[in-house]
Order: sequence, then C-alpha cells, then structure tokens
Amino acid sequence: MKPPKFEYHAPTTLDEAVAALGRYGGDAKVLAGGQSLMPLLNFRLARPAALVDLNRVASLAYIREQDGQVRFGAMTRQRTIEFSPVVAQHLPLLKEATRWVGHLPIRTRGTIGGSIAHADPSAEYPAVLAALEGEVVARGAKGDRVIRAADLFQTYLTTNLAPDEILTEVRLPAMPAGVGYALEEFARRHGDFAIVGIAAMVVREGQRCTMARLATAGAGPVPVRLRAAEEILERDGLGEAAIDAAARKATELVDPDADIHASADYRRHLAGVLTKRALTRAIGVARG
Amino acid sequence: MGVDLPRLVGARVARREDPRLLTGQGSYVDDHRPARMLYAAFLRSPHAHARIARVDASAALALPGVAAALTGEDIARAAKPVRAESKTPSVKTTSFPPLALGKVRHVGEAVAMVAAESRYLAEDAVERIVVEYEPLPVVRNTDQALDPASAVLHEDAGTNLLVAREFARGDVDGALAGAALVVRERFRFHRHTPVCMENRGCLADYATGNQTLTLRSSAQCPGLVRDILSDLLGMPEHQVRVIATDVGGGFGAKASLYPEEIATCVMARRLGRPVKWIGDRREDLLSTTHAWDEIVEAELGVNRDGTIVGLRAQVTADIGAYSIYPWTAAIEPVQTISFLPGPYRVPTYRGRTRGVATNKAPLGPYRGVGRPPAVFVIEGLMDRAARRLRIDPTEIRLRNFIRDEDFPYKSPSGIVWDRSSFTGSLVKAREVLDYESAREEQARARAAGRWLGIGVASYVELTGIGSAIPVSPGMPLSTGTEAATIRLDPAGKVTAVFGVASHGQGLETTLAQIVADEVGVPIEDVRVLHGDTEVSPYGTGTYASRSLVLAGGAAILAGRAIRDKMRLIAGHLLEADPADLTLVDGRYAVRGMPDRSVAVRQIARAAYSGARQLPKGLEPGLEATKFYDPYYGTASNATHVAVVEVDRGTCEVKTLRYVVVEDCGRMVNPLIVDGQVHGGVAQGIGAALLEEIVYDDHGQLLSGTLMDYVVPSACEIPMLEVHHLETPSPVTLGGFRGMGEGGTIGAPAAIANAVADALAPLGIEVAELPVSPERLFRLIGRAEGAKR
Ligand SMILES: Cc1cc2nc3c(=O)[nH]c(=O)nc-3n(C[C@H](O)[C@H](O)[C@H](O)COP(=O)(O)OP(=O)(O)OC[C@H]3O[C@@H](n4cnc5c(N)ncnc54)[C@H](O)[C@@H]3O)c2cc1C
Repeated sequence: MKPPKFEYHAPTTLDEAVAALGRYGGDAKVLAGGQSLMPLLNFRLARPAALVDLNRVASLAYIREQDGQVRFGAMTRQRTIEFSPVVAQHLPLLKEATRWVGHLPIRTRGTIGGSIAHADPSAEYPAVLAALEGEVVARGAKGDRVIRAADLFQTYLTTNLAPDEILTEVRLPAMPAGVGYALEEFARRHGDFAIVGIAAMVVREGQRCTMARLATAGAGPVPVRLRAAEEILERDGLGEAAIDAAARKATELVDPDADIHASADYRRHLAGVLTKRALTRAIGVARG
Repeated sequence: MGVDLPRLVGARVARREDPRLLTGQGSYVDDHRPARMLYAAFLRSPHAHARIARVDASAALALPGVAAALTGEDIARAAKPVRAESKTPSVKTTSFPPLALGKVRHVGEAVAMVAAESRYLAEDAVERIVVEYEPLPVVRNTDQALDPASAVLHEDAGTNLLVAREFARGDVDGALAGAALVVRERFRFHRHTPVCMENRGCLADYATGNQTLTLRSSAQCPGLVRDILSDLLGMPEHQVRVIATDVGGGFGAKASLYPEEIATCVMARRLGRPVKWIGDRREDLLSTTHAWDEIVEAELGVNRDGTIVGLRAQVTADIGAYSIYPWTAAIEPVQTISFLPGPYRVPTYRGRTRGVATNKAPLGPYRGVGRPPAVFVIEGLMDRAARRLRIDPTEIRLRNFIRDEDFPYKSPSGIVWDRSSFTGSLVKAREVLDYESAREEQARARAAGRWLGIGVASYVELTGIGSAIPVSPGMPLSTGTEAATIRLDPAGKVTAVFGVASHGQGLETTLAQIVADEVGVPIEDVRVLHGDTEVSPYGTGTYASRSLVLAGGAAILAGRAIRDKMRLIAGHLLEADPADLTLVDGRYAVRGMPDRSVAVRQIARAAYSGARQLPKGLEPGLEATKFYDPYYGTASNATHVAVVEVDRGTCEVKTLRYVVVEDCGRMVNPLIVDGQVHGGVAQGIGAALLEEIVYDDHGQLLSGTLMDYVVPSACEIPMLEVHHLETPSPVTLGGFRGMGEGGTIGAPAAIANAVADALAPLGIEVAELPVSPERLFRLIGRAEGAKR
C-alpha cells in the first residue's frame, strides 16, 4: 500500500495553488487533511500526476461572521470547528455533527473543505450543508463562483467542482436563536462513517413549526433533503402524530443502497427511526 | 530442609516488558534495517480460481532498482512444497506452494514476488508483472463444494472434502428417540480473522560466508518455523536461525508457516542480500488465515428435568483453499466436534465433522480454535431446552455439569477432564451478577417495552497439552514438551532462556516470577530471553494456551536444579549440612545461626572458581536445562454472563454488563490473567456482534479494509467484571492451567444467549453470528410480521 509516483507542490498562496492545479489539466489533486485522499493514493485507487498541497496556504484557514453567515476557509480543521465559540453560538448543529466525524486525530487533520469536496455520501458535513442550505465558493482559472448545496453534490464522491477548481470557502447561514437541532446517527462502531444519519432543525412557535429542515447521510448517493417530511411538520405542527408521520415519510423519500453492513431496507428503516429521534431531541431543545 | 515459600507467584507484578514496548524500544521485524537490505512486495491473485497460463516479469525486472523477481516455478526449484501431513487417513494431504504453481485458489494468493530498493519501487514493479489467467468456476461455499458437479480445488485430492471424522459414544439415536424433548438448530458461525496490531512480516538474511540463514519473523512459533524451513530449503537446522522477539499479537494466526516466509528466504539466499517483507493491512485481511466459518447442525435430547440424554451433531467447516502447516485443515472442524459436549455429562454422542475446501483464504487457528463455535452451539442448545422446559438457564446447567465426584471424566470424544470448578464458576457468576435482581430488573424492563436479556455460557477447554495428544488432531508432529535453560552467572544474576515466544502475553514477567521463586533470587536479578532459536533450548513456540504450563513447568524443574546445587555449594562454603540451611533475603544461613551465612552472589562466584570451592566431585557451574512434558494437559473453565439490551429502533445490541468467573488454576500473576481475559472477551464480543469476513459470489473479499471488517474499539466493550477461582491443576507442575484463549471462547455464546433472551418475547432464537443489526432487523421484522 504505497502510492505510485506523483509530483508534489506546496504553494503558500491561493493564486499559486490555482495556477499549479491548472497546469495539469485535471490530472492533479488537491491535498487537504489527507484523511481520505491518502488512503486512496495508498490503495492506488487514485493515481494523480501531481498533488497540490494546501496545508501551507495560510489564507485558507479562518472562521468569519459575515452577512448573517458563518464563513469557513476550506482548510479550517474539523478540530478547530469543534471548539470554536462562533460555531457553538451560531451553528450548534455543525458543532454536534463534528463530534461524529471520525476520531480526534482524524479531526485534527481533516478539513471542512476536504470533507465537502470529497462528498462521501455517509459524511456528516455534507448533510449539515444540505440541512442549513449553505453554499461553497470555488476558485478556478476564471475566478470565483458560488455553488449552492443543492447543486453541489452530484453522486458518490462527486461534486460539480471542476478538476482545476479549488473549494475555498464554506458558507453556512447562522442558525436563528432558540432553534431546535439534533444530529442522530447510527454506525456500527464509534467514529465510523454513518450507516444512516439525520440532521434536523426546527423553528417552533408553541406547537407550531415555522420551519423544519431534515437532511440525510448514508441514505443514497448524495445527502437528501427530506422536503416532504419537513412539510408535514410545517403543516401539522410538532405533536407526536406529526413526528411519526414525518418519520414514515422519511422512509419513503430515501432511496438507499445496500452494502455489507446494511441492506437498503434496513437503511430505510433507520432513516425513519433516526428522523423520529432527531426531531424529538430537536424539539426538546427548541425555544419559542 | 527448609522449603522457601513462593513470594512472587500469585502477585500482581507489573509487566516487565512494558517500559520497553511502550517507549518504542521493542524489536519488531520492521525495526530492523540491515545494510544492503531489499524490500519485497508480492503480486496477489485477483481471481478466486484460475489456471495460470503465463507469468512474465520482464517489465518488472527492467525497472531501475529492481533486484529480482520470483515466480512459483522459481520457488519450486529452490524449496520443497509445503505439505501438512496428517496421521488420520480421512484427512487428505495437499500442497501449499509458496507462490502459486499452475493455478490460483483464492483472491490474494501470492503469485509472484519482487525485491527492490524500496517498497514503493517493489509495488511499482509488481504492477508490471503480466499474468495470464484462465478463470475456473469459483467454489463459493461448502454446499457447492460438496456437489459432485463442483470444480475441485486440489486435483490430486480428487475431492473438496479434505477432512472427515466421527466421534461416537453409546446409542444416541435410541436416546434421542426416547427423549422427553429434543431441541435442534442449524447454527452458523461466520468467517472471522484475528487482526493483529502488527501485520505479518519477515526479514531473511543469508550469510554466504558461513551458509547460515537468519529469519526474523512476526511469528508465534520460531522453533517450528526453523524446523520446517530447514526441511523445505534443505539446510541443516543448526544453520537456520529464526528470531521472533517482539511480536505485535498473534492470536493463533501467526502460529502457522506462511508462504511469504519461505519465499523471502529463497529470495535472500538467491541474492545474498537481506530481504524484508512487511505485510500491509490489505494483504493481512486477504491472506492471513481466517477462522471458524462453520455450519453446525445439532440436536440435544433431554429428560423432563433437563438432564441430557444425548447429543448428535454435524459440523461443516469452510476451510478455504489450503491445508495449513503444521495444523492441517482438520484443526478447526475436528476441534469443534471434539469439544462440543462442553462441561456436561453427555451419555450418548455422535459427532461428525467435515472440512471442505473452497476458493477463500485458508482457515487456521484463532484464539479458542473450534471452541467458540462449539460453545455457541452447546450453550445455545442448553438455553433452547431450558426455555422449552421452563427451567432457568443457570439451573439446567447446574443439573448437567460434570460433578466433583465424576472427575477425572472422559468426554464422549475421549478428552479427560481433571478436577474443575464448572459448578463453582456458575454459582459465583450468579452471585457476582446478583442474578435474581438482574432477572427482576429484566422483568421491569420488559414491562416497559425494553428488550433486555441475560445470557450465560459455561465452557471447559483443554490447555497445556503434553505429548499424549497432538495439539491439532492427527498432526504427526509432537509438541508436548518445552524446555528452560537457567544460568546463574558468577555475579549471581539469572538468565533464563525459553523456546516459547511471547507475543503479548507477558511471559517475560510471569516466567521471571516463577524463576525468581524457584532459584531464590529477586525478580530484578532475572532476565528472560525467548523467541530466538539460536539461544533457546529446543522448543516450538507459543500457541494452544500452553506456554505458562509447559515453559513454567520447565522453569520450575530447572530452577530447582539450580537451587539444589546452590545449597550443596553453600553447605560446602559454610561447612554445614546442606539440609540445615535456610534461604533468607538472598543469603543461605545455617538454621538458628544467622551470622553463619553466605550470599547467593558468593555461591555463584564459588561455582565458577574451581574445585577447591566446591564439594568433592561436584561439577562446576550453575546452569541447568530441563524439559517438561505435562503428558495429557489440563482443563481450564469459566462461566461468562452478559447483560445486553437490543435497541428497539436501530436493532443494535448494547452490552450493559459482562461478568467472567474463570479458573486457570494457580495464578502466577492475576494482573496478566485479567489482561488476557479482557483481550479475549473483546475479541469474542467482536465475533458476536461486529466482525465478519465477507466474500461475494466471485470469491472477491468485500471486507478488505478495517472500515469493512469492523473490530470493536474500546467504546464497544463494556467494563468487564473478572473474577477468579483457583483450583490448582492436579496434573501439572505448579498447578497451573492455560488461560490465553478462554475469553474468546465464552463471549460469543454469552452474547448470543443474552440477545436471544432479550428477544424471547418475540420467539426469536439466535442461530447465526455475528448477530449484526442487519440480521436482527430481519429476525425482528419476521417475528413481528408473524405476530401481526
Ligand atoms: C478512520 C477514519 C474515519 C473517518 N470517519 C469519518 C466520519 O465518520 N465522518 C466523516 O465525515 N468523515 C470521516 N472521515 C473522513 C475525514 O474526517 C475527512 O473529513 C475527509 O477525509 C476529508 O477531509 P480532508 O481534509 O482529510 O481531505 P483530503 O483527504 O485531503 O481530500 C479529500 C478529497 O477532497 C479533495 N479536496 C480536499 N480539499 C479540497 C479543496 N479545498 N478543493 C477541492 N478539492 C479538495 C481532495 O483532492 C480529495 O479528492 C474519516 C476518516 C478516517 C481516516
């Protein structure tokens, strides 16, 4: 398990990085935390001609509040996010999700940009991006473009980032104060990728629900927004019957795949169970 | 003569190897980089079953930095094929070539080998080797393999049925026909693999000057590997040295000879340069021996009061592609059927067993060998009978255990159990758990709609096997002895050398405790060497829960020989009758006259200082080598109790409490016993809930990474409550019983029984392990569907 030969670039500015990437016409890969890319290289499943290492591009690591959003430089480590007071205050769902990402040493290296660009369908960050209707900024030879969560994820491990584009920033709208949120996940072992995970957010006024958000991890090739289930809550409120109906709806909305750990039926079942648990907990913490 | 009481045996002495290992100063294979060393990589088969039409390594050899490439035919010219012979006529002997010869029989089988200046280069070169395969029909499982129309893996055997044995006692058919109740089940224990922290690896160095071969290997049995390598390579044994000082786990999987060891030696001899191969995790999951993988169809007949009248069973093991050396393909299936009757009085029995070749990695020993499935089966049947008869599961066991008055008890398969605490361990486990309260809590939980269950498993295992019984059934090799060489040097310090080899068990500590007590010196003055055939007396290695019993026995004998001689010399120096001497604080003194004394150090110096310092006629020196053979071996036993809850939504099993009451006879070091139980139970819980080797219909390994082969982490293992009984073995020196494997033997059954108990209201039985959430989802879905 040793990678084949590749060239290695370690630029210190974003412009240099974009230029280096451009020179290989799609045959180079960006190296962020390396927590997914290194195994792919070692298994020789990825054989890029070159790596462009972003770890020395200092301008890509930040957490900033701007225009009602929290903006993350792509190279911000998951560990930094886990302990950021800004995240704790404005994006408690992201903070909760971070604790489900691998183990401490993995989060210490792994980045928010890498997790989203990698687009593992079982990963937590893409589900949060979908639930919060976030967006990302990509920089290519032709400049910056902003991509909405709904447009970003194409299929397994595939985004609509061009091979010569670098994801530079992740933008998540600050969650309203008093919002209810929860991330429920089932994995076979602590720290593993989710078999199924559900990210939930609810804004309540008494028993009424003014906004519900539900997104999946592990229940299909991309994170799925469970809009029809959200609508049940927004229409029928947050009582037990509505939660049950939303959970049932969730099982109909997902179209999961099977692998050696879980059949499609079992994953569908889990989507319902976890939707119910996530909503119940989210409603429990919601004020209003 | 005053007997000096043991001081260290029984004490919780901290592991003496840990400071070295925990500060990164261990001596593992990959820590060694001799000058001029080359790195090896193997090309492995992508096909499960195919004929090899052509192997062309020329493009690999053309890469700068590549020193050599070997194919199956190259090896065949340099080494004899490996054949694991058996004395049992119904066990077929087949060849296991180090590099595939003519055909490949499983995905991951080594086909060719490259040695190059770096591992990176070696892997680049391996990619350039061209192999033309002609795919053959894939033999996916035992059912298919036994079909007369099936492809045959080993043409010379003529059949895929490599092992067939039967054990019988009494008229079991009559007994079952007349039984008040017969419970039956088809049990399935899926394929597992041990997953050692250190992958397999080896470093071979052939010294052309004196024609000696040195192999460092991550192996449990350096002596055994030395013997067979010398045979296969046609080199005298005293010119072959095998070293396995620090080994990062073995669990049985490193007790066999591996193709890479032979190939690396051949490569090193051919090039006259050191060659190192370190297996990576992918190679490990593909090619280290797998375990268990059995179907057991079993029937248990009982009287109305739950007493057993007969047991009838058939084991079918998927032994994979090759019969491994030296244990043969019989080890797993024959052990399972031999140990099936458990710690119970089973008056009539018929056990049939089969080992069937398929296109998967070879099956080998893994902690517990045969007994984790055997205990899963017998304990599962006991619970089924108890449920049907409405007898408490602990009660039905107590009614059937071999009783104190029955020892020594000959089991239906011919194994003799010495005095053991079958009843005692269960009674104590009930007490530790507070069984009645646990049942009350379960009743409350059930009323609240929770699925809570309590599972019990009792077992007995044969450990410390001597020369009367082959460790693996039918194996012609005798592994019934081990030796210790103990040397007291002129400075009064002790070096004790053993042929067993520690790979995590803490033998450097436990054997030092025994030696210190027997010789009569502080443990600080004892150094234990092991795992190097050049320095140790003849021995095979560490496996089958034997090392403390056999090497410990040898240490007692050799230590006593040294002590007796010291006493003679002390008597001479003090001009006293040796029988009048006592040993206190490192000095021999004349009884009642403490000022007439001589220190161990003075005795040691005298021993090496010529005739005048010694009693007339006494040979100088203080060194002894003693062999020990416990002849039959001894029994160890335990009862495990698990309390689990099945999540009603996710179907996940959470282990809430886990109690072990084990009896390994006289304990040398309770701290180490606890550690062994912890590790064993963790592996057993992994086997019960998480771990499974999965192949698809084409024989491709789907669980080929540690994301897919899920071993438990600390988070998945509950706090373990380990308690001990100490029934000294009546048949071993020191009263020791082996205990390295027990944890893994009891845990799968205890968890399975607990899950079944939790789901009893739904009428669910657990007949398949691991009982993964997916399987439970299906079982529960079916049961609830049936109820509706
Ligand atoms: C044992 C283990 C367990 C894990 N468990 C989880 C888990 O439970 N949940 C989870 O979500 N993740 C998990 N991970 C993944 C990990 O946490 C990272 O989030 C993930 O690997 C990607 O982040 P990275 O920074 O390491 O990216 P890298 O591995 O460096 O890159 C991943 C991919 O994204 C591309 N890329 C990276 N950054 C950019 C960028 N700025 N622009 C364009 N392309 C880019 C790379 O070229 C590469 O293709 C686990 C990893 C391991 C090793």
